[in-house]
Amino acid sequence: MTDSIPTTITPSPGTPGEGGGEGSPLLTPRAASPKFSFPYWHELILILLTIALFLFARSKDPTFLNASVQSELSTHVWELALLALPMTLIIITAGIDLSVGSIMALAAVILGLSYEHHVPIALACLCALLTATAAGALNGFFISRIKVHPLIVTLATLSAYRGIAEGISKAKPVSSFPESFAFFGQGTIAHIPFPALLFFLFALITFIVLARTPFGRFLYAIGFNPTASRFSGIPVARIKFLLYTLSGTIAGIASILFVSRRNTAKADVGLGLELDVITAVVLGGTSIFGGRGNIPGTLLGILLIHETREFVSWHYQNDELIPLVLGALLILSVLFNSLLTPKRR
Amino acid sequence: MTVLPYGVEQRRGIPMRRLLAHRELAVALILAITVIAVSIINHDFLSLGNFRDILIKVAPSAIVGCGLTFVILTGEIDISVGSLMGFLAVLLGLLTSPDYAHLPVSLSILIVLAAGTFIGFINGLLITFGRVPSIIMTLGMLTALRGATKVLIRVYANDRWIGNLPDTLRFLGTGSILGVPVSVLTALIILILCALAAAYTPLGRRIYAVGSNTHAATLAGLSPNRIKLFAFTLTGFLTAIATMVSVPQLSVIDSDIGVGFELLVVTAVVVGGTSISGGKGTILGTLLGVILLGTVRTVLTFLKLGTDATYWERAIQGGFILLAVLADQLAKRDRSEDE
Repeated sequence: MTDSIPTTITPSPGTPGEGGGEGSPLLTPRAASPKFSFPYWHELILILLTIALFLFARSKDPTFLNASVQSELSTHVWELALLALPMTLIIITAGIDLSVGSIMALAAVILGLSYEHHVPIALACLCALLTATAAGALNGFFISRIKVHPLIVTLATLSAYRGIAEGISKAKPVSSFPESFAFFGQGTIAHIPFPALLFFLFALITFIVLARTPFGRFLYAIGFNPTASRFSGIPVARIKFLLYTLSGTIAGIASILFVSRRNTAKADVGLGLELDVITAVVLGGTSIFGGRGNIPGTLLGILLIHETREFVSWHYQNDELIPLVLGALLILSVLFNSLLTPKRR
Repeated sequence: MTVLPYGVEQRRGIPMRRLLAHRELAVALILAITVIAVSIINHDFLSLGNFRDILIKVAPSAIVGCGLTFVILTGEIDISVGSLMGFLAVLLGLLTSPDYAHLPVSLSILIVLAAGTFIGFINGLLITFGRVPSIIMTLGMLTALRGATKVLIRVYANDRWIGNLPDTLRFLGTGSILGVPVSVLTALIILILCALAAAYTPLGRRIYAVGSNTHAATLAGLSPNRIKLFAFTLTGFLTAIATMVSVPQLSVIDSDIGVGFELLVVTAVVVGGTSISGGKGTILGTLLGVILLGTVRTVLTFLKLGTDATYWERAIQGGFILLAVLADQLAKRDRSEDE
């Protein structure tokens, strides 16, 4: 393994799908001209956009940038941020997981119902985590063993898991959890909110694993060329299974944080969250075709999405504008990125 | 599995096993079993009225499904159709309703058709010539259009529902010609046209060619970009048509029309046997997929499981898709061992 694998991989292939025949000599990408070889266009654009947003926010409404306001607003972001970590790994392997929001709902409902039936809260949390892990493992099983396209599998389980959550809870909420449970979502350690601590710990681990270990290299290799990876002895199926299972577990953790913060568990937890998570990851420069992306980029993506969303709802008091702005942001950032990088032939 | 050019598979001899391996037959079989099983439990299921209800319910998915089949055949995807439908519905309501713009119905229809086609065109343009991956582009469009819909409703309708649609527009949703509902008739015409186009025209061949091997198609002198652009534009246009024949059935228009519609249509197309990586699939398969999913949704009410059953609808729908892809994949495995 050389250090150069992620960096030598040229920008996202222009031809989606498996039809192109990656191995064909005719398709070998032309060497990029030196003029365009600067590899951090995307990160640069993100940083500039974030700075522009902050400057704009300052001119419109300086209070938005106050530390207290920012820390208050940041409580909303941690579930999305946590989910973005395994999602980055999955998208790097050219996969996708649309079911994370639904897994959150399922875990939340299991947590709520088992607590309602007098299971101790710690055990209820464990049940929720196990359910979420099992749900992720089922995704992984279908994707890695049955070899169904991840988009199809997780599209199906997106309906199925939320459906099960609605079915077993009859769409009724459970609330009034014990005081001690509130710690997960609202507690602090040395003035740092517990969810933030958890997120930064996980982000650090994911970053090291992705950038500094053979396992991380395997993920890039799988995303860039699954067949070649299999032939060079990488356990592709096992790694994919592991990734989707992990994604389920993290969704379970995010679900516990969410329920603890809101003090209510209902089948509509995490509705539509998967789209925000994918937006953050892709905005962060991870190629949807796999083989390209990193954790710092994802962090920038999360930051930009979070700040944009909070500013729009803080300043304009208009939540309807948020999706419009986020959608445009996603399309434009990817458009600029693809226009600035050399065309793959 | 080797990818055969379109048509080769069909022209070979037809031993029984090969015939059974066809996705359309498998879906038709599942559909038949479901219908027979449910009608044994509840005889009312086989009534003409129920049949008609199911057809009316699936007509919009069938119309959009045709466009989406072409998009998926070229190896791309469009998940913005649900939001587009919501946006066009609100636009249609605002334009025609006497409480708001009160334009003539025919003019409003033209505007809505143009808007749908234009948005589809923008999708296609940025995906092909802007090189934005289709899932990202249409994901962004899905989010942005839903936001735009809510902004439209807030600005022009003060967050209220739009009701009071003119009767001529209502006819498109609830009227019938010779006893056949307008929406079903429209869906039928579009299905036939698209099926013919896919199987018998150069355009159809090109779509399959681009989907099975983009590079080879380029070398053969086709322009994948133009063909993809056409597929996306067509999907936008068909979504506008589907909006026109389905939305006037509703008593009021709100900002939530079409939420989750894209998942339903993509699911139907894929259950109908169109390969998500392109190049393989038929309009007939999509029709069967759409009808199968539509039937599954109504089955629950006929099994008399009580009101609790409605909560399980999504779970059963999702389970069904998983079963379908599982069965398909296992059948594929058998086939490849055969050859």
